[in-house]
Amino acid sequence: MSKTVYPRSTSEQRSMGPSSPREGSTRTLMPRSPQALRPATGPNVWQVGLDGGKYFIIALGALTMVIPFLDMFVGALKTPAELLARPPVWIPHHPQWNVFREIWYMVPMARWYMNSFIVSTSVTVLVVITSSLAGFALAKYSFRGKEWFFRFVLAAQMFPTFLFLIPNYLIIAHWPAVGGNDWLGRGGNGLLGTYVGLVLPFAVNWWGIFMMRQFMLGLPDELMDAARMDGCSEWRIYWQIVLPLVKPALATLAIFIFLSAWNEFIWTMTVTRAAPDLQTIPVGLQLMRDTFDPTRNAALRRAALAVSTLPVMALFLSLQRYYVRGLVMTGLKG
Amino acid sequence: MSQRLGRVRLLLVCLAVSLALGLAAAIPNTASAKVKIVVASHYGQGQKEYLLPYFEEYMKLHPDVEITYQEITFADYLQTVMTSRVAGKAPDIYHLYSLWGVQMVGNGALDRPPASIQKMVRQSFVPSSVEAVTMNGQIWGIPTEIDNYMLVYNKRLLKEAGFNGPPRTWDELLKIAKACTKRNAEGKIVQAGFALERGWDSAVVHPWMALLYAQGGSLFSKDFSRATFNGPQGVKALEQEVALFKEGATDPTVSVWDFPTGTIAMTIMAPWYKSTLQKAMKDRFTDVGVAPIPAGPAGNKSVQYTFYWAVDSKSKVKKEAWAFLQWLNEQHPGQSSPMGNFLTKLGAIPSGKNDIAAHKAELGDAFMEPFVNALKYSVPEPNVVQGQEIKTSLMNHILEAFYQKVTPKQALDAAAKEINAILAENY
Amino acid sequence: MWPAAVGNPISPTKRHRLDQRHWAPYAFLAPAGLFAMIFFFVPVLFSLYLTFTDWNPLSSPRWIGLKNYKYIFTLDPYFYQTLTNTFVFAFGSVLLGTAISLLLSFAVTRIKGKALWRTLYWLPMVTNVVAISYMWTYLLDAVYGLVNQGLALLGIAGPDWLSSPSTAMLSVIIVSVWAGLGGNILIFSAGLEGIDESLYEAARVDGASVWQEFRHITIPLLRPTLLFVLVTGFIGGLSNFALIMVMTGGGPMQATNVVANYMYQVAFQNLRMGRASAMAYVLFVIIMIITLVQLRVFKRGGVESY
Repeated sequence: MSKTVYPRSTSEQRSMGPSSPREGSTRTLMPRSPQALRPATGPNVWQVGLDGGKYFIIALGALTMVIPFLDMFVGALKTPAELLARPPVWIPHHPQWNVFREIWYMVPMARWYMNSFIVSTSVTVLVVITSSLAGFALAKYSFRGKEWFFRFVLAAQMFPTFLFLIPNYLIIAHWPAVGGNDWLGRGGNGLLGTYVGLVLPFAVNWWGIFMMRQFMLGLPDELMDAARMDGCSEWRIYWQIVLPLVKPALATLAIFIFLSAWNEFIWTMTVTRAAPDLQTIPVGLQLMRDTFDPTRNAALRRAALAVSTLPVMALFLSLQRYYVRGLVMTGLKG
Repeated sequence: MSQRLGRVRLLLVCLAVSLALGLAAAIPNTASAKVKIVVASHYGQGQKEYLLPYFEEYMKLHPDVEITYQEITFADYLQTVMTSRVAGKAPDIYHLYSLWGVQMVGNGALDRPPASIQKMVRQSFVPSSVEAVTMNGQIWGIPTEIDNYMLVYNKRLLKEAGFNGPPRTWDELLKIAKACTKRNAEGKIVQAGFALERGWDSAVVHPWMALLYAQGGSLFSKDFSRATFNGPQGVKALEQEVALFKEGATDPTVSVWDFPTGTIAMTIMAPWYKSTLQKAMKDRFTDVGVAPIPAGPAGNKSVQYTFYWAVDSKSKVKKEAWAFLQWLNEQHPGQSSPMGNFLTKLGAIPSGKNDIAAHKAELGDAFMEPFVNALKYSVPEPNVVQGQEIKTSLMNHILEAFYQKVTPKQALDAAAKEINAILAENY
Repeated sequence: MWPAAVGNPISPTKRHRLDQRHWAPYAFLAPAGLFAMIFFFVPVLFSLYLTFTDWNPLSSPRWIGLKNYKYIFTLDPYFYQTLTNTFVFAFGSVLLGTAISLLLSFAVTRIKGKALWRTLYWLPMVTNVVAISYMWTYLLDAVYGLVNQGLALLGIAGPDWLSSPSTAMLSVIIVSVWAGLGGNILIFSAGLEGIDESLYEAARVDGASVWQEFRHITIPLLRPTLLFVLVTGFIGGLSNFALIMVMTGGGPMQATNVVANYMYQVAFQNLRMGRASAMAYVLFVIIMIITLVQLRVFKRGGVESY
């Protein structure tokens, strides 16, 4: 299944690739000096005003980013009456903190968390391995069929997710010799209802291969030739020389893949409908939506949403200084 | 720097552990020797609490049986059953909505009940519910919950607008609805005279069907070869609903879920709504009144649907599954079955004759009694192939009329064209 | 994992090394290649086969030739509408998203505390799509939603957002833009930081206004990035549907139904796998044509690596 499987981050993932502003068109138009446009009061007032404008835009944007989360969080604390009150109650008078405890009993939130974690890390590990291996081969070797394979990697990214949904479901269900299936894949459930079934269709990511290849193109050949002269095997070159050199790119890849896997929804929902024990956070939230009766449990649903997002958010924000630089760097180099 | 390395190492260990966990969990467990029965139904929070104790009780009586409950959101039920059947991972016991039965039976997905169960159903269940589980002259399951539709109204709001009783004709209903509608300074409805729910297909299609039957119309020709709902009766029924929008007594923001807040004067709803209303309105529940949907040329009519238990044809524990269902639904004179107890707690109407008799008190309260009385003139939803697709098509076109993009006649003609194509494939 | 590629620790002959260089790349590509066989070529061919069948998952596929395609193009009541919606959604969200994120990145690049600001835009990126959908469903609720309540304070009667067919598409576009801002800002910021500060200084000495700086320095230098974000975002937008599936389910009145979501409904609600696969293929062909055009645009626009 191609990377387009991950619904939301598609554009972001892809655009991490080849853009390289430095190499782009450098036909810079140096600004003419339009004295006429220069305000009579001098540039300083202008500048202050514009800086103010900038801050205004940024603050407005930031507010738009934060308010939905606040609304969800505060909404979870309101009583049913306050949620439906007109005129609105902005701040709950008697915050219902107990919803945050209750939600763990009402829905298998801990289970969802565990599943999300297992699936996302497995996918991340697999993709990082397969992408770096294939990217290395495509970047640093010449062999027959290389061009062909690279083109395929590019083309495969164009295939939309839903084209694979139904066939992959059948492939997983009829995986030979597992889950009660015979060698022809008949008789049992195959890999359905297992973590492997959730993970396997994401084990290779075409965009990941592409990205690693782009990054590895820049590695000096001399280093590898020197290692070969010293009697290093190709595997050791990959493992001990190349991988340490591309750590930032690997980290970037891992972050993006982890986030996409964490948010993956369509495939997991389709395969885990009949296997509630394997549902991940987004799937669980969606499929249990009727659990939250719109009138009675609106606050509980908000609590469920908050519990499903805030810890992940805290984790990523606390780690961000480790990866944001890497993201910006690879974004540049791609 | 070294601290950073430590962190990286920790992260790697975490990754490895979770990968290992994932692989370990992938190996199927083949531990206990108990008979495992998976029961899938749409009863969720606030409902299943009343059902699960009976599962426990049965497991106590039969220590060799382990029953697992699988909750599936109603909107996803058919989808879930289909996908899990493709995978050979279907539940053993289904709780099916009558509309889905034909397809399940037609594709051999359901097990024929043992003769004793067929006999029980034929003898001690309400005839209209038996009809719902009968396909090709064969009984396929045990009917459970019956739902029909009535006019549910807020007495207090009607009184405030100067009306002492529910409307008897649609014109009266329109008048009351208009009188009960209040708007704020921006022109938004803050109190709606009527709520026509658009949230899911039944909520859109069923009230219209009730009006269609009251007009003397029908959905399909007898042999299901073509749609008949776009005749003058169907159009009239839809015009009645659309009039509520045209007269400003409702709009697309009004939802039945606001009824408990006392901002909806009237709506058309089913008995399962009772438990929701009770819990949300508490002592205000006494405001709720139930009356027949205004009669038409064909008299008082309503529409009815039924749920039923069925067993998967590929289940490995069919015998045990039917035995459990028999215990859960068995009708004894003067006694209620566990299912009967559960359904009445929900506020639903059970379909077992003895269950209905045993719960006279609950079924005779001010909310339920009109629903039970209306069973006499409630028309069962037809069992038609691709029923779900047909219903979705109807919903889409009815909504177009609600939003006044097309006239009721145009909407129903368009639906009929689509639905005739679907019917032609199968009849 | 790939024993063939693991070198013998005891030093072998040089001849052997050369051999290894020949087959090592194949070993490195093996996992991806195997995956491509199983999870790419088989599904692509199988779903192509399905487009010529009538199949509900309870029975076995029945060959019906081109009937599915014929139905889609001549009879299907919603296919063209969902196709239009798909383009409106993709185009709307990518244009709006690019414009806003460009503006914000430009504003954020040379101010203090940019890490904090950028972090805020990252919040939706680490939030799952279901949570985002529900959060915004609450915000945009016509009566109880914060947005309309806020507008009411200003004396404005807010629209019915998600429940009115005329504003529903706009609403989902806004949410999709909101959710994707962080990624775009990251890319643009990377691009902007690559622009030599001295260019701006020189411009300022010449008395250029901020707008002129933006117009004559930033935009030309960012052009490849910009082009890339626009085109790939558009193509990604054509096949995204999780947000729509959760927020509106394609409603009201198909106003937000995009082909991918419609296909999911046809497949799993109406149980017509063949017809759904045919829709998927039609959309795929459209995406492919657009992508081929994209490649040309890239070549001309100075993006070389694709």
